[in-house]
Amino acid sequence: MSLTLPYSRHRRYLTGIDWTIGTIDYVMRRETGVGNLSQVILDLDGELPADRLRTVLAQISSRLPVIHGQVSRDIVNLAPYWKVSGASAGKVIPLTVVELPADVGVGQADAMLAAHVNRPLQSATEHLRFLLVRRAGGPSRLGMVFDHRLLDAFGAEAFLDLIEQTWQGRLEEIAGCISQTERPHLDQWSRQFAGGKTINRFRLRLAERPAVTLAMPRGRRNRPVRFLHDGITAEQAARLVEVAAEECGLPIVLPSALARTIRAMRPAFGAAPRGGGEFLVAVSIDDRRADQKWECLLFNHLSFMAFRSPLEDSDPAEKLVASLRDQLFEQMREDIPGALRDAAMLTRIAPHCLGSRLARGPLGGIEWSFYFACLRESAFSGETFLGLPAVNLLHTPRVPAPPGLGICLTFFRGQMNIVLSYMEGVLDDRMARQLMQCLKSCFIQGVDRHSRK
Amino acid sequence: MAEQLTMPAIEQRLCTEIQILLALKPGDVSPDMSLRSLGMDSLRFVSLLIVIEKAFGLSLMKAGLKREAVQSVRTLAAAIHAGTHP
Repeated sequence: MSLTLPYSRHRRYLTGIDWTIGTIDYVMRRETGVGNLSQVILDLDGELPADRLRTVLAQISSRLPVIHGQVSRDIVNLAPYWKVSGASAGKVIPLTVVELPADVGVGQADAMLAAHVNRPLQSATEHLRFLLVRRAGGPSRLGMVFDHRLLDAFGAEAFLDLIEQTWQGRLEEIAGCISQTERPHLDQWSRQFAGGKTINRFRLRLAERPAVTLAMPRGRRNRPVRFLHDGITAEQAARLVEVAAEECGLPIVLPSALARTIRAMRPAFGAAPRGGGEFLVAVSIDDRRADQKWECLLFNHLSFMAFRSPLEDSDPAEKLVASLRDQLFEQMREDIPGALRDAAMLTRIAPHCLGSRLARGPLGGIEWSFYFACLRESAFSGETFLGLPAVNLLHTPRVPAPPGLGICLTFFRGQMNIVLSYMEGVLDDRMARQLMQCLKSCFIQGVDRHSRK
Repeated sequence: MAEQLTMPAIEQRLCTEIQILLALKPGDVSPDMSLRSLGMDSLRFVSLLIVIEKAFGLSLMKAGLKREAVQSVRTLAAAIHAGTHP
């Protein structure tokens, strides 16, 4: 079809995936009181001066008022867009500074950062806020809470790099590269409908066999998401990539990483299974090239895939990796990520309150066992941040509930972080600790043996 | 037919397919370039293998792909050449 409705070339119309993320945000705010937020945490070796950060944030805020925008709708063609008003330029990105006494352990900082991401945003135009936890003369932990409607995970890491680059005087140069407009995609209707058809068929196939899930707690309002974090060294992670390639027969990590995660999850689900006898895992995938870091800094550049695996652990590990690899190929052959992007364009007509009845998440209507993300090497890979050595970077995402359970793997200068996110009540703390131990051992399994070969 | 393609022809075809896949400009891809430097991540690599299946009638996954084969456009072209000229 060639019908194209009139639109403004200066606006950032939301893509279908932006709208899907917005629907998840709506559902999470309605059910838990807090939206689809995540947090990227940067560990720094030294005491970060808060004024230095405040100055840089003010510069960015002034140069990029888009970060204080909000969703609006175009009356001419009904396409949702990101509205940036004139008042946005003077807005401040909130920064809270907490000074910890020298005798307080790191657990206290973890608890503060977890509470930070579990607090709702204060207004419709607030999409970022910072918490700096530091100890006199000691290390600092900087948490940046971000609204997924403004940034995805890779974009959030790139935003940290933007802070560093701004401090080095490169804001103007980089700001010019950041794309702030997007056409409304009110054309190529046949492609969008074809995408919808592909996704509906895929969804029907997924719905044939219900997924095993963990029981969700009643009363999710104000119920926090908790986080556990562990990791493996850069050396172990490098070997893991090699072993994953051997297991898979191709230089890709996802099938092996997901297989290890599923193996670790089995005991937790085996104890109290609900639903069917198979895992059904929603996997978010990044859709941009690494060299599009600045161009695609803002908004969402991702899509989703779905993977199945038996709950029972009867097959050898290699068979699980091969099965996940074959599912990956099958979905890429069908271009499920692309079809989902196209199909989601059509959902933008429905306001979130209506859309959320049909689609609570990606591939709406499907009940997932858990969410899984394996991010590429961090977009922030600098040695220093505002003059201090950067030691580690990890994410603590508020995983959508249901299922209220997610695993996020991130790579920072080679080392791999494993973060378990779970809504309080989905797992008790003892089970969560056991699951994290299991995850760690599954990721190390074969890696150390491989190194001795 | 794919079996009749010479190594330079495979390289040329592969450069074109990678340029389309990565949304690069014509001339941005040359046989000596490493796949990593072109921005080829895991998922795009899977897409490339699917494109190769269609374009050359060869499943590199089934044929067994060694790590050395995925270093550059040229080494990948050599794997295709070997697979299509048994």
